Amino acid sequence: MRTVARPLVRPAQYVALACYIVFLGFPLLWLISASVKSSGELNSLTVSLLPSEWHWQNYSDALARQGLVRSAANSAVVALTSTALVILIAMPAAYVLARLKGAFRVAGVGWILVSQVFPVILIILPLFLILRTMNLTDSLVGLTLVHTTYTLPFALWMLQGYVAGIPTELEEAGSMDGASRLSVLRRIVFPLLAPGIVATAMFSFVSSWNEFFFALVLLQSPENYTLPITLTSFIGGEGKVALGPLAAGSFLAAIPSIVFFSIMQKKLTGGLMAGAVKG
Amino acid sequence: MKTRGVSIAACLTVTTLLVASCSGGGDGDDGPVTLEFQSLSDQPAAIEATEKIVGEWNDAHPDVQVEIVPTGWDGVYDKLITQFNGGAAPDIIHYEAASIVPFARDGYLADLSEHMSDERRADIPEGVLDSVTVDDQVVAYPTELQSYMVFANKKLLQDAGVDIPTGETMTWDELREIAKATTKGETYGLGWGLSSPTATFMTMAPGFGGEFFTGSGADAQITVGEGEMALPELVDQMAYEDESILPVTLTQSGSESIASFYAGQTAMTVQGSYQAANIAKDAPKDMDWVVLPPLEGPAGSGQAANPQTLSVNIDSEHVEESAAFIEFFTEAENLAALNEADALIPATTSAQELMRKNLGDENGWDTILASGQHFSSAPYLFVDAYAQWKDTVATPAYQRYLAQEIDADELADQLTSGWDEITS
Repeated sequence: MRTVARPLVRPAQYVALACYIVFLGFPLLWLISASVKSSGELNSLTVSLLPSEWHWQNYSDALARQGLVRSAANSAVVALTSTALVILIAMPAAYVLARLKGAFRVAGVGWILVSQVFPVILIILPLFLILRTMNLTDSLVGLTLVHTTYTLPFALWMLQGYVAGIPTELEEAGSMDGASRLSVLRRIVFPLLAPGIVATAMFSFVSSWNEFFFALVLLQSPENYTLPITLTSFIGGEGKVALGPLAAGSFLAAIPSIVFFSIMQKKLTGGLMAGAVKG
Repeated sequence: MKTRGVSIAACLTVTTLLVASCSGGGDGDDGPVTLEFQSLSDQPAAIEATEKIVGEWNDAHPDVQVEIVPTGWDGVYDKLITQFNGGAAPDIIHYEAASIVPFARDGYLADLSEHMSDERRADIPEGVLDSVTVDDQVVAYPTELQSYMVFANKKLLQDAGVDIPTGETMTWDELREIAKATTKGETYGLGWGLSSPTATFMTMAPGFGGEFFTGSGADAQITVGEGEMALPELVDQMAYEDESILPVTLTQSGSESIASFYAGQTAMTVQGSYQAANIAKDAPKDMDWVVLPPLEGPAGSGQAANPQTLSVNIDSEHVEESAAFIEFFTEAENLAALNEADALIPATTSAQELMRKNLGDENGWDTILASGQHFSSAPYLFVDAYAQWKDTVATPAYQRYLAQEIDADELADQLTSGWDEITS
């Protein structure tokens, strides 16, 4: 039986994988397809992935739109900075949360969960007023702080799960070999935590890169706009949507994310701890 | 080393951001007055037209400079409500009448009654002016409107032996007859995107004498009688008795339903007037199309007006200057240029005439502009719970009715009882 089943299993796995990749990749393919079609073709009943006529004008229209490139730079600065801040704050906090026992841990976990309950619309006004008193509305610094604060609880929750997965025996072994507390963290814990840090960084980056509402409300000057704000300018009143340029702009906007992910995913290797603890 | 490098890079980035944020300068007290104008203009041509108008103002008024703050339509209500509550709203606000009325009622908008010139007041059709008058105060200047028009494939009408209507108006009965006559084989007479039908039914109800609401604010009462039910019933009859409406279009948006018009699956389509520009650009080259005269019901050809507007923040330190700028902005030449760029109908008669003169009969604009004189007051603009009723009661009830899940009596009952439930 096993000799019959084995040749069928592997192709089936590949077919399933291919279907999954198509399922995940199709929206991006459709976006690219829409970005090179004319508005006439986009409003046609004939549906095809390849355009009948390549309409590169959408890209020049998107790039000609005020501040698309500048918005991309703003988004990159805010997303990278808030990601760095989130990781810097979450890493030690997650370690403490995962390793400590008792009331502090319960309170910490409770705070994380409660902070996820409030809808954005509920906190935007007090947040706006606080930032205004600090002169941080309409500023990329203010937006970075908001993104950091908003992403931090979930990032903390993610990271403490990874820390909890590192056996304490490894730290104890390090201590017995004479390593200081700091050395144990630096040489044993943090390297093992690398996949978790990468996953958390990817989550933080994409949360900030795509964030719309805080940026919409807090930013006032066009020179500070982030990409999601600029891209919505392709959606007009009275139901008007410039679909081709919107798709072109969205695709261009997705490129940094794709590059960031392709670099980071190489670090996202699991199984580092396999066989670390024997017995 | 790597960790240290990342930390240094992060610190440098944060420092750079802090320095950048601190370096932003504000206006000095002794310089010219600067008015913030939050503009929702989205089309490149409209942005250009707005910038031109503002540029001309700034050149002529060195002491009162206007700065455009471009904003998208998406989420602007939430942005404004936060800005108003946080005391950071711009001086001049571009938005639609339906959305500024609640702001006016809450006291966020300045009364512009005394600032509006007699010339401008006389130039705005009465129904349009009513749409920006809250508690006897003019709270905004109307600028641009759209009306619902019927676009027709000339060849399909002629092939069906239909004389293309050319009068000042066209009755709904005529539309029904033409739709029946042009329904042949795989071609339907009409495509009508009614996936979110409430706005369309509310806008076109005045032609049947439908008003829906009496009173205003929290005291408004709903009436769903013959006038209010006439249009949904007509659509139902055309779709299911005559079978002259392409059924799938009833589940589509206006923009989506236009594809079947281009493909020749429908001989006519009901669309917002701004679609004239898109049809001119996107329709197949060999397609000969025409805009049919404004639709007229038993109570006339009125459509409820919900114009785009310019209003002034009541907390602005420069209400008078802001109003003066809006007076300038709404001069006939400026409004005509802006509406031409946006493919919309100017809110003043003089600008409509100027636009008609500029465009002539191109793409049916003379017919579209003629509908600009038929706008009537829209009672729903002044009703507190309208948005909630529309989203939670009216739209689902109309959708069920158009899908024949409920009959006309049940629709009327759901519209009324849903309103009572919300307001109780």
